[in-house]
Amino acid sequence: MLGTKVLIGVLSVAGLLAAQPKTQTNSIGMEFVLAPAGSFTMGKFAPTCAPVGYQDNVTEAQRAECLKMAAAAARPGFRATVPRAFYIGKFEVTQEQYRKVMGTNPSYFTQDKVGEPTDQYPVDSIAWKDAQAFIQKLNAMERTKVYRLPTEVEWEYAARAGTEDEFQGAKRQEVAWYQNNSKFATHPTGKLKPNAWGIYDMLGNVWEWVQDWYDEQVQPRGPKGPANGTVHVLRGGAFNSHEKNIRVSVHAGGPGSVINTGFRVVRDIK
Amino acid sequence: MKNTVFFCTFACLCLTPLCAQTGGIPEGYTPIFNGKDIKGWHVSRTNHHGTTMSARVENGILAIEQNPIGEGGILLTDKRYKDFELYLENKPDWGCDGGIFLRSNEEGNAYQITIDYLIRNTVGSLITEGIPNMSGTGPRRPPDWQKIWKRDEWNSFRVRMTGEAPHITAWMNDQPIIDFTDGQNHALGGVRDGMIALQLHFTNDTTPRNIPHGTHRFRNIAIKELN
Repeated sequence: MLGTKVLIGVLSVAGLLAAQPKTQTNSIGMEFVLAPAGSFTMGKFAPTCAPVGYQDNVTEAQRAECLKMAAAAARPGFRATVPRAFYIGKFEVTQEQYRKVMGTNPSYFTQDKVGEPTDQYPVDSIAWKDAQAFIQKLNAMERTKVYRLPTEVEWEYAARAGTEDEFQGAKRQEVAWYQNNSKFATHPTGKLKPNAWGIYDMLGNVWEWVQDWYDEQVQPRGPKGPANGTVHVLRGGAFNSHEKNIRVSVHAGGPGSVINTGFRVVRDIK
Repeated sequence: MKNTVFFCTFACLCLTPLCAQTGGIPEGYTPIFNGKDIKGWHVSRTNHHGTTMSARVENGILAIEQNPIGEGGILLTDKRYKDFELYLENKPDWGCDGGIFLRSNEEGNAYQITIDYLIRNTVGSLITEGIPNMSGTGPRRPPDWQKIWKRDEWNSFRVRMTGEAPHITAWMNDQPIIDFTDGQNHALGGVRDGMIALQLHFTNDTTPRNIPHGTHRFRNIAIKELN
């Protein structure tokens, strides 16, 4: 009997998901992409050491010590699970969308700075509490509770889109606006290549706030962030970031440099 | 020629009491490092060199070191400064890339005076880090930094930064090394102020810019605000 109930339950969930469209658009024109349930390896850390004599700067003793320290610091990571499918913003929240909800646009990169209308540019200069205020108001506008920030696990899961490497299986400049190609400004959302699930600008353009508190660690130690903290986690790097910050695993924290912080929204399936 | 005039001028000025002073904070400066802890400073959580570096204080000396290996970072003042003169003393381990960031943002986009204390590199060179290249005029590095540098000893830096398009003048061990005016303000977002930061470079298998346990030490960090 119990087995039958479980089976029916599983089939119901499967049926619900099968019925979910791959994309959705909400009342303010915000597009969402379906992220299926699944899991991935998160939190891996593996320092590397240069060979002896590299750039005339590594002795045998230094390399041996580096390898010893790297082995001690390495972390295998952990399996992070996303138990339920969810929708995530196809793009970073734009200045137009922010204005529609909040009535204001705090962005630095407006027409007087970039020489063209910036409605489709990501909203910037956003503090974590600004993102929360936006979400609260968006929920109220649609009389729902489905909107929220992604958790850090959800963000990295959606950024990876099933890929194992650090760059969504592409070259950085194909998917991200960063120090090497941005001319030190944000760009309209969705102009570069999306990842395998059709999500744009997960790397570069603006740093994105997630729900979790920051833990002052080089990589997260587990799938749940700390219960409290002083700042929240930032992900993805921005238009001004060095290429080293343009990786799906980079685990950073606030406050950021103000003109380079934005966010994207998750929509729960109820 | 221009450089010759510049360095001769400053060689003469160095006969003044201020230039002659070594090993201590010059008069008129306010300490911004208390010699006990890093109160008033914080490690950037978005800098690409790293976000978890060790910044410990012992016997009045601030020592910054990678933690874990490979992960450097920047230690920023909590306060922002506009026009200022900065004084500090530095003693790095050989093989370590560091720097002094000027008008930095939280991520470390800044003007920088290098303390790249490793082979074929320069201590005392003015460069940009994560902002557009400079376009101005004037000496940006000492002709031969090793003639001024005191190996395995404390070395002093005095840096003056003023103006919208910044005019940066610097002395290392009281010798003039930089007198450069940028063509425009290249700070990110055109900001006129920013934080001061002490940098330690990241390392990996293709970037050996530090050594295991390599440390940059600082003391007597002080500022004179000019605005």
